Parts: sequence; structure tokens; C-alpha cells
Amino acid sequence: MSRRLDPTLPARLREMGLMDNSKCFNCGHCTAVCQLTEEGFAYPRQDIRMLQMGLGDALTERVEPWLCYYCGDCTKSCPRDANPAEQMMALRRYLTAAYDWTGLAWKFYTSKAWEIGVLLGLALIVVGLFVVPHLLHPGQIQWEPLDGGVAVSSFAAVSWVHLGDMVMLGLLSFLLLSNIFRMGRRILGAARVPIPITLYLSEAWHLVTHFATQRRFGKCNDKEAYWVVHLMLMSGYAIMFLLVIVFLSSLQTDVGLNWTTLPGYFATFALLYASAYFLRGRWQKSAEVNRYSTFSDWLFPALLFATSLTGILMHIFRYYLTWPAGTYVMYVIHMAIVVPMLMVEVPFSKWSHLAYRPFAIYFANIRSKALQAAQKTQPGSLGVPPAVSNALEV
Amino acid sequence: MNPQRIGVYVCWCGSNIAKIVDVEKVARVMARIPGVEVSREYKYMCSDPGQELIMKDIKELGLDRVVVASCSPRMHEPTFRKTLKLAGLNPYMLEMANIREHVSWVHENQELATAKAINLTRAAVHRVMVHAPLVQHEVPVNRATMVLGGGITGMTAALRIAGQGRKVYLVERSDELGGRAIGVGRAGPHMNSVAALLDNLTTRVNDSAYIDVLTGTVVGEVSGFVGNFLVRLANGTRELTVGAIVVATGTQPFDAKKLHRSGYGRFPNVVTSTQFEEMAASGRFTTESGKAPRRVAIIHCVGSRDSETHSYCSRTCCMDALRFSNILRDALPDAAIYQAYSDMRAFGRDAEEFYARTAERDVTFLLFDKLLPPTVSEAPAGDPYPLLVTMDEIATGIAIEVPADLVVLMVAREACSDAKDVAKLVSISVDKDGFFIEKHPKLDPAATTTDGIYIAGSCQGPKDIPDCMSQAGATAARVLAAITMGKVKVPATTATVNEDLCVGCQTCISVCPYGAVIYLDKHRVSRVEEVICKGCGTCAAACPAGTISPRHFTDNQVLQQLEGLLAAEEG
Ligand SMILES: Cc1cc2nc3c(=O)[nH]c(=O)nc-3n(C[C@H](O)[C@H](O)[C@H](O)COP(=O)(O)OP(=O)(O)OC[C@H]3O[C@@H](n4cnc5c(N)ncnc54)[C@H](O)[C@@H]3O)c2cc1C
Ligand code: SF4
Ligand code: SF4
Ligand code: SF4
Ligand code: SF4
Ligand code: SF4
Repeated sequence: MSRRLDPTLPARLREMGLMDNSKCFNCGHCTAVCQLTEEGFAYPRQDIRMLQMGLGDALTERVEPWLCYYCGDCTKSCPRDANPAEQMMALRRYLTAAYDWTGLAWKFYTSKAWEIGVLLGLALIVVGLFVVPHLLHPGQIQWEPLDGGVAVSSFAAVSWVHLGDMVMLGLLSFLLLSNIFRMGRRILGAARVPIPITLYLSEAWHLVTHFATQRRFGKCNDKEAYWVVHLMLMSGYAIMFLLVIVFLSSLQTDVGLNWTTLPGYFATFALLYASAYFLRGRWQKSAEVNRYSTFSDWLFPALLFATSLTGILMHIFRYYLTWPAGTYVMYVIHMAIVVPMLMVEVPFSKWSHLAYRPFAIYFANIRSKALQAAQKTQPGSLGVPPAVSNALEV
Repeated sequence: MNPQRIGVYVCWCGSNIAKIVDVEKVARVMARIPGVEVSREYKYMCSDPGQELIMKDIKELGLDRVVVASCSPRMHEPTFRKTLKLAGLNPYMLEMANIREHVSWVHENQELATAKAINLTRAAVHRVMVHAPLVQHEVPVNRATMVLGGGITGMTAALRIAGQGRKVYLVERSDELGGRAIGVGRAGPHMNSVAALLDNLTTRVNDSAYIDVLTGTVVGEVSGFVGNFLVRLANGTRELTVGAIVVATGTQPFDAKKLHRSGYGRFPNVVTSTQFEEMAASGRFTTESGKAPRRVAIIHCVGSRDSETHSYCSRTCCMDALRFSNILRDALPDAAIYQAYSDMRAFGRDAEEFYARTAERDVTFLLFDKLLPPTVSEAPAGDPYPLLVTMDEIATGIAIEVPADLVVLMVAREACSDAKDVAKLVSISVDKDGFFIEKHPKLDPAATTTDGIYIAGSCQGPKDIPDCMSQAGATAARVLAAITMGKVKVPATTATVNEDLCVGCQTCISVCPYGAVIYLDKHRVSRVEEVICKGCGTCAAACPAGTISPRHFTDNQVLQQLEGLLAAEEG
């Protein structure tokens, strides 16, 4: 099947922040130095070439951009200063937008106004949801401190907050999973052989471990520190997710610390530390990975940092200062940051990468095994080069 | 015919020969052959003392013929002929035996090598016994030159020759000087104006008092030989007498209709590089529908580097394609420009930089394997662009299709369709592609194997303007060197017809590669023009009556040599 070239592709990527795509002359140096490439999964040369040529459609069948962890080794060795690592980053943005059926990811990547507008809009809605009911039914809020706490439930009933959590969880899951479904259809469709259903199950454990550990990262040179921070981030997410979604009634009590406090402290520290680490890196632009940060690269750690900070302040106001008014205000601010952040980042932006990476490995391995199986039953009939049917090293 | 007085000189060539061949033994054996007056070996025969040794013997011992057993005659035959001449002997009374290239350099066994050296030297001794003195003639040279072809090369060569005050007839078939460069807008990589260059050349040619410009003129017949050619023009009774001829007839573009896959002649939006130049000159780039093109695909190597058409590279089209991309980018800032290529030939000064700069102007390069060139076809109904270029893009390994509304074919430059006729006219050779062959690709690239006929420019193989200019200059220098002497030596080792025995079958005329045999209608016999004859012997071998004898290679001489070779070992 021949692929049609689309000359507008490079320009569209440039709109998403790609610096320059003309310098690469396809020598392949980058692929040779990349620690993460393996047989059957060679990048970034091929992806850059496809980008130059305008093979946008064929690119959506590739998993390789997700296998790159932006270590910058390739960029350091490129003889043409073509910045391959940055091009891979741009391709990840492109893929995120290509998987997304709502078109919002594209809007967020190409327009600051859109991204900020949606964040502010959502923040206003959140504030409204907290404030308007109290304006309509005044007198419910308890402004006096309790003994060893603040009556948070008088301001935000756990049941309502929990309902809000569930609605958001449903919405985010739906958006993210529908995009992942589209991603899988593209990647697996490229095999052009039937996929045995059992493979989806047998490969699932890779998905879980990669999602939790992002361990391919550890394969990069000198990237251990980076990987540890990522790991912290992931564990912080996971703990906070459990606390907020499953154990909200224990997390949000009106009095005293309880068993959720310690894991909560750990998660908060992890998120604060990780976001500060990324922000500092972006600020100093020391590492290759940070040289070409776009607005959205900044936004995510900044929001995460603000989320953690407001969470901590709220906690201090509530338990250590037992100051109800401060607690309520900080609660609203905290929610007005965290909700828009999650709504924008999880399905459409940076955060979704954390999900796409393990899924890319998952789909790639299903595809490889399906090809291997097909080759066994009809050897030679596929014209598939053996490399393509290699499974990824895990 | 005896008594003969032969001197034999066996050379050591330092240790080159002596370390494998027992040179003393060779000399000893030769001394015993009747007629050999003296037989010596010496360290370096070609050195001054070596030559003096021979001259001294000739004078003191009254030698009348000499054998030198040493290196290849290609190397030192002229040297020793001169030695003989200085000593008062006819230079053709020399015979050489090659015991270096043919013996010491190719054998390891000393005994066998010595035996072979003895045989070869004995053959030379037997042969020299029947050598006859030959005379080398000199003929006067006409100092005018004809330049055939009025392109950039022809004009440049004419100007250089005229610059030395020599007469030039510049014969151009078409009505205009300039050749293929007419219509080429600018020349890459520096984007110099070709029109200005042509204007400069034509003005100077037309203004030159020494150049006779004959446009619209075709040569009918060329006869004569170096220094004395008679050129009959086809369009009239005019005849030119010249001493040298420069062939600069250039190339013609490949007809892309011959390649179905190119789409040329089938789809109106497929144009050749020449047509593109016309578009560029008019400044209006349009598709068939009159609109400005939005997707342009430039395809390299159409008719070049391809087993179906020409296997050679046309050398200028890669740079032309880059130039076209720049022209297109200037005119159409938003159009997509593709270049389907199979190797980028960016040689020469500033060419690679030109390539890099072009690549930065949003030009997409697509790589194909030259064995699988792109195909141009009609796009399916409903497509926004009328054409599809399909190819296997080998840098990605992906089969692609490029929608296009203008396809530019970089067509090959091939030898003119009448190149063989021109070659025959002046008795030179063409290669398998129809390009004229030079005398030696490195040592003598401007001359041909026919004395007095020179070649220059793209008729020898595709060239860009700087290369055409350089060769035109080299050829002019070669011509000037030949005509300035006022006379040329013609070789003595030519064929002769025994006209008493010739039956007039003219077989010799049909086989002679140099056109050296003429037929005398009146006497109904053939005659060899000695000034043209190269002494190759082809006619002598072909003559059914056995009446042709090449001087210095007579039957008798060859038989004697064989006899010497096969004679019984004399110790
Ligand atoms: C489209 C195109 C673009 C080019 N672009 C560039 C460029 O950018 N840079 C560059 O360096 N070069 C370029 N070239 C190449 C350049 O034009 C040639 O190198 C140059 O014109 C060759 O000159 P020539 O005199 O050897 O041959 P020609 O130009 O072919 O001239 C030969 C002349 O001989 C005449 N002739 C042929 N046969 C006979 C005969 N039997 N009797 C009498 N006359 C005869 C012809 O009519 C013609 O006038 C380009 C060529 C083409 C076709
Ligand atoms: S990005 Fe650089 S190293 Fe990689 S292929 Fe292109 S030029 Fe070579
Ligand atoms: S940034 Fe690192 S992981 Fe990504 S392609 Fe370059 S070398 Fe490989
Ligand atoms: S110069 Fe370039 S386009 Fe022309 S034949 Fe050679 S390789 Fe092909
Ligand atoms: S010897 Fe050769 S060149 Fe001379 S006339 Fe005979 S065929 Fe021609
Ligand atoms: S081939 Fe011999 S016989 Fe025939 S024309 Fe020539 S010289 Fe005469």
C-alpha cells in the first residue's frame, strides 16, 4: 500500500512548537547512538525522515516516538544540529493530537490562549460550584474551629465532593481510554494480520509494570536520577489517586490526623519535589531535554507544584492553625487548580504521555507477537521483514 | 644478404632484469649467431654511457643493425632509434626484445626466464636481419582551423585559436550560435546569467577578424590528412582547406516519450527540463489549467543511469534540479517542491553548499533506487491534483505516492543522433553511447586517434559549462601547438599497395579504421595515403590478393622473427 505525502505536516508540527525540520540529512547517526533503539525499533532517524516527507498518517502507526525518553544523546551527536530529540518530542505532541478525537489536544498545543482559557474557565466553574450553593443557602458554613480541626464538611460535604470525583474520574477515563483505543487501532492495524484475543491478556502485565515504573527510562545513559524522580511522581500520583477516589471519607475528616496522613505526606512531598525538580531543570535549561521547552512543557509542572503547595497550605490551616476561613479559601483554590489541571493534562497533554508510553509498548508487543504467529502459520507469505516482528526488550 | 654486422646489447636494467635473467648468458648465446658482430651486456643501456657504447660500436666496428634486449619498446624505442640516428644509421635498423615486462617482471624461475629471454632476443636478431631503412616524411601544415559546432565549447575554442592570430572557420548547423545553452536562464551554483555569457561569446566571435562564422552550414565531406584537410560544405560549392579540425558538436536532450513511466507526452503537466527553462524564462509557471502549480515533483535521472536507456550519468541535471527548486521557491513561496533523486551529484566548487542551501528552502528530497525509478500516472478521479508520482522511498523503506500538478523530468543529455556520421566524416570513433572517444582519457583528452582531429566539450560526454570551457581551452592549445610548427612528421611505418597486383576489390577501404585508403578510379587500384595511415595492418590482413604490405611489418619480417623464436637452442 503506498502512502500519500502530505506537505503540510512539517508546518503543522512547527505550529506545535517544532523548531526546524530541514536540517536533518538522514545520516542515521542519531539512531546509532540512541541507547534505547533495538532491532525492529530503530529511531529517531526514520521518524524524522517521515516527518520531513509528510508521512503523517503512517507516523500514527508507529510506536517509536513513545519509546524515546528524551535523553538528548542523539541531539548531542547530530552532525547537522538537527536536534532529533526535540523532533521526537514534537512527534509525541503530534501523536497525542492525532489520537485525540475531540480536537482539543491540537488546540491546546497550538494555542496558549485556548489552553489558558480552558484552564481559567474550568477554575471559574469549580469556584462557582463551591460558592453558588452557599450563596443560595447561606448559614451552613461553620466558621468556628473545632477541637483539633476544621469542619470542612460544613463547607464541602464529602458526599458531594466524592460525587464530583466520580464524575471527573468517569469523564477523564472515558476521554483517555477512547484516545488509547484509537491509538491501539492505528498501531495494531498496521500489522495487517488478525490479532489473537489472548495476546491482549498475556501482554497485559507489561502494561502494568511499565505504567508503574516507566522503567525503560533507566536504560538511558546517566538518566538514573531522572528516572528516580519520575518514579516518585508516579508513586505520588498513585497514592493520591487512591486517597482521593477510594478513601476520600478518611482523607477529608473534620478532626485529627489519621492513617491517611503519612501516605498523604509522602505523596505530597513526592509531587512537590518532582515538580520542583522539573521546573528547576526547565529554568536552568541545563540538560538537553530542557533546551526547547514549550509553554505546555512548563505549564504542567507549574500547576502540579501549585497543587501540592495549596494542598499543604490547606493542611496547615486545617490541623495546625485550625483556621476555618483560611482552610475553606485554600480548599477552593486547591480545587480550582487541580480540577482544570487534570481535565486538561490527563487526556490531552503532558500527563497523557505517561499513559501512552506503556500502552505503546503493550501494543507493540501484541503486534509483534501477532506477526510472529502469522509468520509461523504462513511462513513467508506476509512479506514482513523479520525485524518488524521483534518484540521489545522489556 | 650477408655479410651483416649486428650489435646485440642486453640490458640489466639495474637489478630489474639481471636478478631473474642471466644477462651474461643471453649475451654469450647471441654472440654465436652468424652475423652478430658484437654482443654485450650493460647495467643501463638507456643511460648516456649505455647509448655511447652503442654509438662507439657502430662507428668502430661498422655495425649496420642493432638489437637492444631491455624494456618495452613503448618506453625506449624512440631513445634507441635516436641513438642509431646520431651514429649515422637509419633508425629503423633497430629491433628491441622486451625482456623486462615480458620476462623478468613476470617470471620467477631464473633458468626458464633466461631461456625465454634468449628466445626473444634471438627472434629480434633474426628479424633485424631483414629490416630495411625507412624514411620519415614531413608535410607542410595549413594554419587554418575548422571548428565544427557553434555552442559554448566551439565558440570558446575558436576565440582562443583566433586570439593567436590564426584563421578559424566556425561551422554551425543551426542558424544561431549558442547551442544547448540557449534558453538556459542561469547556471548553478552561482546563478550566473547564461544569456550574458552567450552574448559575450557571440559578440566576440562575430567581431573577430580571424573567425569566419558559417551558420546554417553542414559539412558534406572531409578528405586529406593532418595539416591538409579539404572540407567540402554541403550547402554549396565552397571548400575550406584547414590544417586541424575541432569537433564540438555537443549533445541533444533525451526524448522522454521513450520512457512510458515518465508520463511524458501522455500527461500535459509533465514537462522536460528544457521546457521548464522556457517557463522560467517567461517567469510564468502554470499547469495545463492555467493555474500556478502547488505541488511540483522534479524527477532526476530520466534516461540516465538506467539499464533501459543510458547507463551513464548526465552530470549537469542534479545541479539543474537544485537550481529549478530555487527558481520555484522564489516564484511560488507556498508550493510543495519535491525532488525524487537516486544520488545527489553535487561535485565541483560550491555545489555541495548549494545543495545544503537548497535543502533549507523547504524542498523535500525523496530517494529512489536507480533500478526502481518513479512512475508518473494519472491521479484517480476526485483527487485534488491531476498526477501521482509513485516510488519506493528507500530512506524510509516506504512505498509512497506524491500528488502533483507539475512534474519536471530531468532528461538525459545524449550524443547527437548523427554523431556516428560526424565520426565517420572525420574518421574518429564513438563509444557505445555515441560520444566521441579521445586519444587517451588522461594523457591526451583533447586529441583523437586521428592526427589533426580534436574534440572538445559535451560531444565527448556530458559536461557542465566550466568543464566545456576548460576543454575548449585545452583543445585550442593543442591545435595551436600543432599548427604553429608549420609542418608535421608523418610516420614511416605505413602500408603500401603493390598497384600491379591490386585487383581493385576495395576491401581495404572498407576495413581501414582511419580512412587512409583511397581508390584511384582511373587505374582501378587502391592507394594508401601515407600521411593518414597508422600502420595498423588491418588492410594487409584483409586484402584477398595479398598485395598490401605494411612497412616494418612485412610478411618476411614477421616470419623471420618467428623463425628466430623457434630456432633450436644454440647452447
Ligand atoms: C536545460 C539545460 C540546463 C543546463 N544548465 C546548466 C547549468 O546550470 N550550469 C552549467 O554549467 N551547465 C548547464 N547546462 C549545460 C550546458 O548548457 C552545456 O554544458 C553546454 O551548453 C555544452 O556546450 P557545447 O558547446 O559542448 O555543446 P552544445 O551546446 O550542444 O553545442 C553544440 C553545437 O553544435 C552544433 N552542431 C551539432 N552537430 C553539428 C554538426 N554536425 N554540424 C554543425 N554543427 C553541429 C549544434 O547545433 C550546437 O549549436 C545545461 C544544459 C541544459 C540542456
Ligand atoms: S537527525 Fe541528525 S543524526 Fe539524525 S539522521 Fe538527521 S542529521 Fe543524522
Ligand atoms: S532522545 Fe534519547 S531516547 Fe530519544 S531518540 Fe534521542 S537518544 Fe534515543
Ligand atoms: S547528474 Fe544527477 S540527475 Fe543527472 S544523471 Fe547524474 S545523477 Fe541523474
Ligand atoms: S595499415 Fe591500417 S591505417 Fe594504414 S591503410 Fe592499412 S588499415 Fe589503414
Ligand atoms: S584489398 Fe588488396 S586487392 Fe583489394 S583493393 Fe585493396 S589492395 Fe587492392
